[in-house]
Amino acid sequence: MSLFTACRSMAEWTAEYLLIPIFNFQAGLFPPFSNPAGSFADWLGTDGGLDTLAWTYAVNIAFMVGMTNLILVIHLERKIAARIQDRRGPMLSLRSLRELKEDLAGEAPTWKFKDNYSGIGIIQNLVDGIKAITKELIVPTKADRFLFTMGPIIFISSSVFLLVLFPLSDRFAASSAPAGLMVIMAAFSIAPIGVLTSGWASNNKYSMIGGMRSAAQLMAYEIPLLLSMAGVFLLAGSFDPVTIVEQQQEGTWLFGLPMWNIIPQFIGFIVFMICILAEVERVPFDLPEAEAELVEGWTTEYSGIRYMLFLAAEYIRGFAGAAVATILFLGGWAGPWPVPPEIWFLMKVYLIIIFWIFIRWSVPRIRTDQILELGWKKLLPLSLINILIVIFMVEIYPYFSNIITLPEVF
Amino acid sequence: MAEMWISMGPQHPMTHGLWTLKVKVDGETIVDADPELGYLHRSVEKMGERRKYFMNTTLTDRLCYASSTTWTHCYAHSVEELMEVEVPVRAQYIRTIMLELQRLASHLMWAGAYMPDLGHITGALYFWRDRELFLNLLELPSGSRLLYNFIRIGGVKRDLPNGFEEKTERILKLFEQRLDEYSDLFENSKIFRMRTDDVGKFTAEQAKNFGITGPNLRGCGTKFDLRKHDTYEIYEEIDWDISTREAGPGYSDCFSRYMVRIDEMKESVRIIRDCFKKMPAGATLASRVPVRAHGEAFRRTEDSRGEAMMYVVGDGSDRPYRWKIKSPMFTTMSACPHYLKGYKLADIPAIMGSIDICIGETDK
Repeated sequence: MSLFTACRSMAEWTAEYLLIPIFNFQAGLFPPFSNPAGSFADWLGTDGGLDTLAWTYAVNIAFMVGMTNLILVIHLERKIAARIQDRRGPMLSLRSLRELKEDLAGEAPTWKFKDNYSGIGIIQNLVDGIKAITKELIVPTKADRFLFTMGPIIFISSSVFLLVLFPLSDRFAASSAPAGLMVIMAAFSIAPIGVLTSGWASNNKYSMIGGMRSAAQLMAYEIPLLLSMAGVFLLAGSFDPVTIVEQQQEGTWLFGLPMWNIIPQFIGFIVFMICILAEVERVPFDLPEAEAELVEGWTTEYSGIRYMLFLAAEYIRGFAGAAVATILFLGGWAGPWPVPPEIWFLMKVYLIIIFWIFIRWSVPRIRTDQILELGWKKLLPLSLINILIVIFMVEIYPYFSNIITLPEVF
Repeated sequence: MAEMWISMGPQHPMTHGLWTLKVKVDGETIVDADPELGYLHRSVEKMGERRKYFMNTTLTDRLCYASSTTWTHCYAHSVEELMEVEVPVRAQYIRTIMLELQRLASHLMWAGAYMPDLGHITGALYFWRDRELFLNLLELPSGSRLLYNFIRIGGVKRDLPNGFEEKTERILKLFEQRLDEYSDLFENSKIFRMRTDDVGKFTAEQAKNFGITGPNLRGCGTKFDLRKHDTYEIYEEIDWDISTREAGPGYSDCFSRYMVRIDEMKESVRIIRDCFKKMPAGATLASRVPVRAHGEAFRRTEDSRGEAMMYVVGDGSDRPYRWKIKSPMFTTMSACPHYLKGYKLADIPAIMGSIDICIGETDK
């Protein structure tokens, strides 16, 4: 049973027992003025109305799943960062206590951890949200008020939009578009407009330079990103996530392992991983919000819930980027039977996210001219080479394989 | 984009203190720069002229919070020359140990502050974690963690406590292991090299003209260190080398300055070990320290950041008639327009961080 059929039966139930009686009751209250409620009840009875209701439920469920994952990703980032950085406070475990004693050679530790601590600290995320909501929303005096408000809206709405666009498995999908991945990449590329808008509207030189950097960065990585995806599309012959994942299950590799796209298109995978890091603006590519020289760049003037939503949107984009990488190169939700496919998908996504967290806390940030050079001079040729390899695999190799017999690798 | 002036500071993550850097940028390229100093001026020299000689060690401690012992030592050293006081040998050894421990703590503080400038926050926490070890060591004889007031005119405050040598040796061993780990994380990191190689270059000739001293000068390949060339305390009896950089990749740029400081830390470890080996028994404070002084004295010492110079004039009273401090950072920072021009905006923290700013001693 897929998510949509479940939502459809839920929609039928709610429409029959909850919504239609309510609307009919409203229509009966003031007969001359309540035609809209009555016609709405009629529309809910039709097939189209029930489908719309079912999609609404599906989108909301996907949104809730995505938001739950957002909290988990932020929590994971905090915990792993604390362990990488060897910070005492968050490392509430017996292992860290032992290492603490060895490290300091018995010199310093005067603090003591509680013996009976409980919880894993996930409420911290909730408290952060409450703190951000209670802060004042400051708009600079000479800022363009309209654009200053529009910037966060563009950035956050386009990021949250991403959550419902990728399926967690072939049955758990809140949207079914034949050009699914193209829609995802289009939604990804909206955010730099929001960055540029808020950077310009803040009336702050740091913010403006941050916005400009975002635009320059977009030019540099977006083209290699799409070209590295083109190889996958050529191989699958489709933009549909479900088709792409199914295509990756067809071939086998050594020991009968499934040949996911990461193996024939390893160059494309590397290019894609670098470019998607730049796309979601994580270290080492978070130039628009470089805190050392630009004081958080385009978010300098934002405060309160706007700033927190910027941060949340960045993590949502990170989650979506890892999901796209999983669909394209890591075989999507495929995996051995006892574990459900949705869990397999999330496991692969979290593997990529943990890898990114390790990168984030172990490398410095690179410069704008260096990312432009990387994008245009190195990643673009590499992605073209990847496309050539795929074209050879798709078009030329079957032709030659009729004449000479090659080992059964591909 | 048209050229525009950007004001960085006095409240800016790049500044490491209170100062303003006004930069004129063309897009992302720096066209002109203008440093503004003086936000932290406390008139230390004038205050010192109203206090007795031995009281001024509290002021010199506060010249630079990251490297307070070296400044106090510079003051004590020049006043000792003024008063013609002979410091006992054991006190000289203890002073050298404290100076090198302070140099280690100061360089570690610099390295920790430099990494966030490049966007590497983990590096800050790693280096500051190690600085804690040396602050603990400095705390043992002096009793405080930041402003020690340990070096006195004519010697040191008290002898080293029992077991200090063993504790130091244990921490030095741990620190050497950590430095090996960091070489993988920083020196061998491609992105770290991308950010620091060929950035903020100035030649040795330029550095001498600007008055840049210390590790920044040695990063240009000049083998000059006051501990060897105008030696004081017992540095000539100790086995150590001046750390410089040879010409080649990573030469007279930010990376060379980073490497010079890392090498200096290794040399400091050597000096401390050698000091413990050669340290004799004896008194730690001169038997007779006069209160009044007449004449003038000038001494320069190798601070963690360059040449610290002090000039003291005594008029026969118990207070200095004139006291002049020359800070190494003042000249280095004043020259910053020369070595900032032509680089990118993102290089400003990388360059200004690499010269190891300390506003406390700069503004006095």
